[in-house]
Amino acid sequence: MLMYDKLFPPKKVALRSGKIVMEKRSRTPLILLLIIVAVVLSVEFTNFNLKVLFVRIGKLFGMIGEMFPPDWAYFPKLWGALVDTLQMSLIGSMIGALLALPIAILASSNVIPNRFVTAFFKIVLSLLRTLPTLVTALIATFIFGLGPTAGVVAILLFTLSYVGKLLYEQIENVDMGPFEAMESIGMTRIQAFRYALFPQVLPSYLSNSLFCFEGNVRYAAILGYVGAGGVGLLIKEDLGWRDYQNVGMIILALVITVYLIETVSEHFRKKLI
Amino acid sequence: MIEFKQVDKKYANGTTALNNINLSIEQGEFVAIIGLSGAGKSTLIRCINRMHEITGGQLNVDGVDVGKLKGSQVRRFRRRIGMIFQSFNLVTRTSVIKNVLVSFVPDLPLWRKLTGIFAKDHKIKSLEALDKVGILDKAYVRVDQLSGGQQQRVALARTLAQNPDIILADEPIASLDPVTSLMVMDDFKRINQEMNISVIMNIHHVEVALEYADRIIGIRQGEVVFDGEASGVTTAVLGEIYGGRFEEEMSVQAEAGIAYV
Amino acid sequence: MTTIEKQLQAHPRNMRYVLTLSVIIIALFIWSLAAVNLKDIHQSGLNIAQNIITGIMNPDLNLLLSVSKQSVLYLLLETVAIAFLGTIVGAILSVPLAFLAASNIVPKPVAWLIRLLLIFIRTIPALVYGLMFIRVSGPGPFSGVMTIGITSVGMLSKLYVDAIEELDTKVLESMTSIGCTTFEKVRYGILPQLMSLFLSVTIYRFDMNMREASILGLVGAGGIGAPLIFAMNGYKWNQVGAILIGLVFLILIIEWISNKLRTKLVKG
Repeated sequence: MLMYDKLFPPKKVALRSGKIVMEKRSRTPLILLLIIVAVVLSVEFTNFNLKVLFVRIGKLFGMIGEMFPPDWAYFPKLWGALVDTLQMSLIGSMIGALLALPIAILASSNVIPNRFVTAFFKIVLSLLRTLPTLVTALIATFIFGLGPTAGVVAILLFTLSYVGKLLYEQIENVDMGPFEAMESIGMTRIQAFRYALFPQVLPSYLSNSLFCFEGNVRYAAILGYVGAGGVGLLIKEDLGWRDYQNVGMIILALVITVYLIETVSEHFRKKLI
Repeated sequence: MIEFKQVDKKYANGTTALNNINLSIEQGEFVAIIGLSGAGKSTLIRCINRMHEITGGQLNVDGVDVGKLKGSQVRRFRRRIGMIFQSFNLVTRTSVIKNVLVSFVPDLPLWRKLTGIFAKDHKIKSLEALDKVGILDKAYVRVDQLSGGQQQRVALARTLAQNPDIILADEPIASLDPVTSLMVMDDFKRINQEMNISVIMNIHHVEVALEYADRIIGIRQGEVVFDGEASGVTTAVLGEIYGGRFEEEMSVQAEAGIAYV
Repeated sequence: MTTIEKQLQAHPRNMRYVLTLSVIIIALFIWSLAAVNLKDIHQSGLNIAQNIITGIMNPDLNLLLSVSKQSVLYLLLETVAIAFLGTIVGAILSVPLAFLAASNIVPKPVAWLIRLLLIFIRTIPALVYGLMFIRVSGPGPFSGVMTIGITSVGMLSKLYVDAIEELDTKVLESMTSIGCTTFEKVRYGILPQLMSLFLSVTIYRFDMNMREASILGLVGAGGIGAPLIFAMNGYKWNQVGAILIGLVFLILIIEWISNKLRTKLVKG
């Protein structure tokens, strides 16, 4: 932004008292211009067309209309997939959160003195977090075969990266006083971590894991689309066959499940803070 | 000149906030209103610029019957009266100068109101107002980066930019520490004397009030129980205003670390 | 009993609570183990894993660096365009919804109804919108934009509502005393407060939308997802490697920029 001030030098404002104030040029016009250019380019790239949208948006509401009333008879068939989805997200979140613990420690520069080790694990965590869950799931189906196992792996890796990153940030910002005190009474670094740092980060670690689990239930619902188990496969089939009443049932079941899980998890998260 | 003639104020729930107030304040006076919380100090001040409606009597400001003003007349009338609040009431997420410029907004043509592009003349006036309260160098800083005392000065500059005849101040130093409080009070005093602007101020800190104001008005349960020069305020008078609880009030202030010496 | 023994007894008794929770968690763990079936891993799975790694190590540089319409660069640009325009569409839709869901602006029942609607919008997976929009606006990036737009609405409105409900209304009182009209109060008292918060939330969502947009290609809604799945299904792992490297790099850059911008917005 220094460049900007050189290109458009600040305006001099002279007061009656003789004082001179330098008024920097406003950035707003530049920002607005950049946004407009970006919008125009994006419209070009994506063939966005308002006219088409207005003419055809009715179709969307038509489809939504056809979802009502949801087909209740479909529920028994849906139940198995829903249980799969829940199990995938539960086991994936649990193992992921557990694995996050040692890896976050290895990535914390105030616990591990070796810079290369911490840098390595930090990079691994941020790379894992960058990959969209669906892509990981897709790759996992090639290795673990079609089915929930691939979904579990995808969720596990995402949880690991999400909880792990928040955890090492937490550990690095923690008060180191108690840690030094424990070391001074002759504990090893690991023991000192257990008794000085762990209690400080435990509540937010649990809370983050729960929050991640909430999100994972939503993600798990689509993993089936690439063959990684759960309701995603049913969504794909029913939308393909234009069986909108079934889709309506799936969405209703998902909304209720997610809502229940969020309520329970929020209850515990509030207790933790 | 501000004249209260048998002014009453009753709230919708039946409580009486002001009862038969008769006052006359000349242009250029520095008046401090003291009294217990809930005695009606805030209500009294807010009646002057009609932030509150009076329910009986008559209130004149420079010959204008305030109660008779309507709609846009009220807004035009308020342009001449500045107001300062305990909690500064600034938009903290924008720069200092933008907060001051707001005082010109009602006079702007529509396109300027919409775009927020201000004329150079207004910018200069805003900067000069900031200069008067000594924070010219903070003009382009965001308000949330200033201290409480500096924020209250921004509010004061915003009011000065309005070029008012009267400034109403509702507990202007209640959220400030003792040192900055006195600095802000100095600003008020200077503005009052140099620009001949009337200052009418609610204030909790009796000692500060006595030191800075020319005239003290004591309010108790919605009635004026004292009106006179600061030098005429004795312990007996304070006892009357605070209903024998003056000592208590002072000790609370002392405990809170806000006693003034 | 000595005082020390008494104090020992006085130890807080949440043991039972912790124990019950632990049992429940362990039970859930065992129950969900059913989802894992390691017998699915064939010998071929391990071979594929090895191929994937070699593929990523030896990316198809030609695909990554060329500038044709099938190149990774072009597709990444398309993905960014989808995410960007989608975020803007989502933000435009979210503003009115957020005001309608703010309990300090509209009556409680209206706010409640809109919130229910938002829960539905938020829970429906992005791919469902994608598949539906393909029938509205045809396959291609246009549908991607609309999908991203709708998926953003859930989170954006929720965070906008938080900002609206935390508005500092005291500043309005001072503007009344200056003699401002309602319009002037909204323009100079409310808008400046909301602007930076809304922008910050929207930039954060743009960052997230990059990830969303990169998978839309799976349902034919444009972006880099489609070539990625084609390359995978064709076992062209060095192409997969090229695409993934480009994608990860881009997402990291955008996340970095987004963090910079947001700190600047919040701290000034």
